Amino acid sequence: MRSFSLIDFASLFIALRWTVALVVLALLFGAPLALGLAMGRISRFAGLRWTTAALIQVIQSVPLLGLLFFFYFGMPVFLGIQVPALVAVTVAYTLYTAAFLGEIWRGGLEAVKQAQWEAGACLGLSAWQQFHHIVAPQALRLSLPPTVGFLVQLIKGTSLASILGFVELARAGQVVSAATFQPLLTYALVAAIYFALCLPLTLWSRSLEARLDGSR
Amino acid sequence: MALVEIRNVHKTFGKVEVLKGVSLDVEEGEIVTIIGRSGSGKSTLLRCINALESVDSGEIRVEGQKVHAKMPGLKKFRQRVGIVFQAFNLFPHLKVERNITLAPLLTGRIEKAKARALAEDVLTRVGLADKIDAWPEQLSGGQQQRVAIARCLAMAPHLMLFDEVTSALDPELVGEVLKVMEAMAKQGMTMILVTHEMGFARNVANRIVFMHQGRVWEQGPPARLFASPETPELASFIASAK
Repeated sequence: MRSFSLIDFASLFIALRWTVALVVLALLFGAPLALGLAMGRISRFAGLRWTTAALIQVIQSVPLLGLLFFFYFGMPVFLGIQVPALVAVTVAYTLYTAAFLGEIWRGGLEAVKQAQWEAGACLGLSAWQQFHHIVAPQALRLSLPPTVGFLVQLIKGTSLASILGFVELARAGQVVSAATFQPLLTYALVAAIYFALCLPLTLWSRSLEARLDGSR
Repeated sequence: MALVEIRNVHKTFGKVEVLKGVSLDVEEGEIVTIIGRSGSGKSTLLRCINALESVDSGEIRVEGQKVHAKMPGLKKFRQRVGIVFQAFNLFPHLKVERNITLAPLLTGRIEKAKARALAEDVLTRVGLADKIDAWPEQLSGGQQQRVAIARCLAMAPHLMLFDEVTSALDPELVGEVLKVMEAMAKQGMTMILVTHEMGFARNVANRIVFMHQGRVWEQGPPARLFASPETPELASFIASAK
């Protein structure tokens, strides 16, 4: 047994890079996929609407832990090749992010009145221009609070990757606590770091909301 | 050749036949007002003219070009035919200037350097030059509708459609919008309006078209139509609209 030292403190911060890396990977791949799912959900084509709705339903209904296990143990079985754990974890977090963000953004898109699309069309804009310049910016503002809410969920959700061997913040906390026998101090510190990570996001979201809505 | 030629147009929504064989010509420079009770098919006809709705049978030609939702060059066509709606439909996330210049810029009609001048020009024409930097929601309904008209004018359309553009306005704001439309009429813009403003129909339009049960029931110059309607349906409509 040793006392809590600067090294333990440092090891928590070093572990933070996995937390951040997992969030970045999830957003990097998950956000574009979420946009695709959201657009599929409001598509003119019924087949596409049903497929994306089913996909979202399935992913949302499975616990994140289940997704992680499924891809970690499942991918080698289904694909017949050994994939690095990072790939399996990235796939799981990507789908998780895509399903939840996709549904949040769909709500935002649908909250923008149909007449806004129409007004754009009547001015000779293409469907993409209507989306990009008229509907998406309004939908984004409406979706911002739940989007950031989900982001905070995602940050905390990365702690589950520890069960697959990733020494991210939560797992590092376990290790440090075991080494120092100072669980209270250690986990308080871990919690503080999570808090410090999420608070700026919420603040940033508020300022962005105000900025996107210059008229109010 | 008339600017707008409508030939035996039918349109059904679900089981309801809204247009039951409408034929109508509108000449260049003409101001045509469509009147009639709710559900008579006025707005639907207007929406068919710029292909917001497609006709089931019959045809609509504008400048000789057959109009429908899948026509080639639909985007170019819509730039030539402006439409103003009852609910204004300004873009709430953009300032007045950007509301006006968005489409001209995106469609390549003007360069970025000339965008503000264009916005100033069309806003002057609707009497709102001082609102160029305002947000839509800072404006009254009448002002918003005039911005919507200016937004259309910025595309320099050949034909303008007005779909009950004063119906959502407080009575004291109706006049300012009608005044703008009257000025446009004087400048020779071809206009087709659906309206409940009988005074405007009487004083500004060249021709009144009375629609009833999905058909053009009666049409003619306003003076004659209002003074001596030929059908009992129009007579009772005029009586009820007073």
